Amino acid sequence: MTALIFTHRRKKPRESSWFFLLIGYFLAILYALLIVIPLVFIVISAFKDNTTIFASPLGLPDKLQFKNFVLAQENVNLLRATGISFFVTVGSEILVLLLAFPAAFGLARFSTRLSPIIESIFGLGFLIPALAIIMPIYLMTARAGMINNPLALIIFYPALRLPITIILLASFMRKIPRELEESAAIDGANIFQIMTKIFLPLSIPGVVTVVVLNFIDIWNEYLFALILMSSDNRTIQIAVSLLKNQRSIDYGLIAAGVLISLVPVYIIFVFFQERIMQGMLAGSIKE
Amino acid sequence: MPREFIAFQNYARLIADRNFHMALKNTGIHLMVVFVTVPWLAFMLGFFLSLRKPGYRILRIIFFTPAMISVAAQSMMFMGIYLPEGILNSFLINIGLEELTRVWLGNTSTALGAIIAIDIWGGIGFYGVLFFAALSSLPNELYEAARLDGAGLWVMMWRIAFPLTIDFFGVVLVLQFLWILSGAAQNVLLLTRGGPGRATLTLGYYLYDMAFLTQRLGYSQAIGVVIFITGLVGIILIRRITSKFSYQA
Repeated sequence: MTALIFTHRRKKPRESSWFFLLIGYFLAILYALLIVIPLVFIVISAFKDNTTIFASPLGLPDKLQFKNFVLAQENVNLLRATGISFFVTVGSEILVLLLAFPAAFGLARFSTRLSPIIESIFGLGFLIPALAIIMPIYLMTARAGMINNPLALIIFYPALRLPITIILLASFMRKIPRELEESAAIDGANIFQIMTKIFLPLSIPGVVTVVVLNFIDIWNEYLFALILMSSDNRTIQIAVSLLKNQRSIDYGLIAAGVLISLVPVYIIFVFFQERIMQGMLAGSIKE
Repeated sequence: MPREFIAFQNYARLIADRNFHMALKNTGIHLMVVFVTVPWLAFMLGFFLSLRKPGYRILRIIFFTPAMISVAAQSMMFMGIYLPEGILNSFLINIGLEELTRVWLGNTSTALGAIIAIDIWGGIGFYGVLFFAALSSLPNELYEAARLDGAGLWVMMWRIAFPLTIDFFGVVLVLQFLWILSGAAQNVLLLTRGGPGRATLTLGYYLYDMAFLTQRLGYSQAIGVVIFITGLVGIILIRRITSKFSYQA
């Protein structure tokens, strides 16, 4: 690497920039194609007959047909799985916010010597590999008699998402000017009122960011949903992966399932892309 | 369930277990391949995007898309790529490279590579966009001085942008490291279940197999402890190394 740096050093900037941009565009577009082509393939395949899928992988279907969706519904009950996923995701979101908001408020507004320690303990939560806790979680859920109960996921997912949610919310709340709460305190508001009446409205942008990030993560979660739920209460991710387990591989069926599982997340991505990117950056740095 | 304290017997078995050796080797290969590709390419991609040349907005959205796709959906998508009649083979046939076609997931020499490729495919774009965001927060004046000195973009990328984002580079390494140790086992579970033979048996998947398929709970938890300790040691090492190169140090 150093050798390259030095050989380029004396070149005129303009020439080397031209070359750099040319190579940059070439590689970036090549990579973009590598991402887009499989996605296009999935979207197209969902509307195609299994025989034509691999004969002309990127050819458009002759006529739009929804047979694959109907079949996928019959095979793994995608509608129910989608419903379960929504129920679990919304339930977990509510629980995360109820717990994380006061915690973040406490961290952001009552600085004692303990608060940085508490915050770094929350930070450690990111570093636990999911596989290291999967067995204890399974055993606890079984002991509680909650295997195959979606409530188990609603209780567990917040544990995965609380550390990042609290830390992101706390860093957001630290930017809220103190004058507002001071004047409210003078007017006789108590802590709870300051939190709900003043902080909550001002924190909405931060809350939206964490809600969006949590939605994506919880909706897409596979491993714990797989071991904690069984047939009738499986989430959409499990249903999609089960489409493969038919006797022969019917790729149109799989593509239809994958497409349905992607739609909610992609809608959210389209509306909140900037927040998602910034939030994920902030989240990874805080790790 | 008989409960008997067996001291370190599970660990002793682990040391002698050939499957465990294989899992260590495969996870090691996975780590190395990803570490020499993803963070570097992602950084360069992020730098390219941070120049904000025409088209960077749409490219950024495309590059971030894999991060929105769940592991289950990604695996199903890659299955369509790797199937014997899948789009990778049909692409190779179309460009006249028929002799390169393989049953990618069913061949002991290509299966692990096929699994690793999924992480590279999504990782470059995701971390590239995060690098873009990290680089965008740097003040422009930093580049100005170098530009006046006649430095080209390649030099600016490695001499100015890279040292300034080295801490984030370390973060990317840590996240990748944890993903490979633990999360990546999901792709193995969804696509190959460790096979063919033991070609894609990784540490993470071995734990899953022992815990939920072979049902040797204690043994699986011994693997879990190995994963946890490896993760901890790896994170500390990565931190040490990147902080050495950091400006603040």
